[in-house]
Amino acid sequence: MTSFGSDMRRRDLLAGAAALGGLAAAGLGPAAAQAQSTTAMPQIDSAEADRLAAEFAAGAEVLSQGLALDLPALGDNPAAVPVRVHVTEPITDASWCSEIIVIADLNPGPLACRFRFTAATGSADVTVRLRLIRSMPVRAYARMEDGRVLMARRDITVAPGGCGL
Amino acid sequence: MARPPRIWISNETPAPGEIVRVRAQMVHVMESGLRLDASGQTVPQDILTGFTASLGDSLLLEWTPEMAISQNPYIEFTFAARHSGRLRMVWTDRRGVVAQADRDVTVG
Repeated sequence: MTSFGSDMRRRDLLAGAAALGGLAAAGLGPAAAQAQSTTAMPQIDSAEADRLAAEFAAGAEVLSQGLALDLPALGDNPAAVPVRVHVTEPITDASWCSEIIVIADLNPGPLACRFRFTAATGSADVTVRLRLIRSMPVRAYARMEDGRVLMARRDITVAPGGCGL
Repeated sequence: MARPPRIWISNETPAPGEIVRVRAQMVHVMESGLRLDASGQTVPQDILTGFTASLGDSLLLEWTPEMAISQNPYIEFTFAARHSGRLRMVWTDRRGVVAQADRDVTVG
């Protein structure tokens, strides 16, 4: 169902695309230079993240329960990925959360941030925005006042190179 | 402290023990210290290093951001409103206090 009109439009589009291609080739120099404007490199594995986790647990058994880690499966903006961490069990005067850490396994600095709570907080529910250098596992650890260490872990896919680190 | 932080609080007159949610965002470059400028020199690191929230005399939350926190840091947290007081939030970087915000919370 090709009409004359649409065929003309197609030719115009092709010509335009060729011109754009030429521009892109000419602009390649500056673009390549810009790609090297950061020394940020992702970690090659989770070794540093594991070390941070072990340091936080300090020998305690790590339980994969009681802690929720909410983040999108696909981070459409790697420069600001919303991450929510909250303890799902009731926070009482006898059982409260004193500390939470968030680890982005493959970031140049895997420790993303640390939170400390007090008995006066009466809650353990925080949300921050992270920048992630590539797709990676994200984990959170929480220390309860009775000595338990809770853990949650999620994988996230992000578009590479949009990190802003 | 170019612009004051943006604060949202779920309820400034909560019932005793009610969980109050707070959202706060402030302006900060969060320079990672990994970027190079046009002449190839490293741009010095300039990140937020601390945030505290307290209600009256009682500390509620200490947050220690690292390099991975996004520009113009956003923080959302909850606390149990057990007494009235001034909810005070203070942001610091290595130069000292960069922003502060107060909200009066009246438990009734």
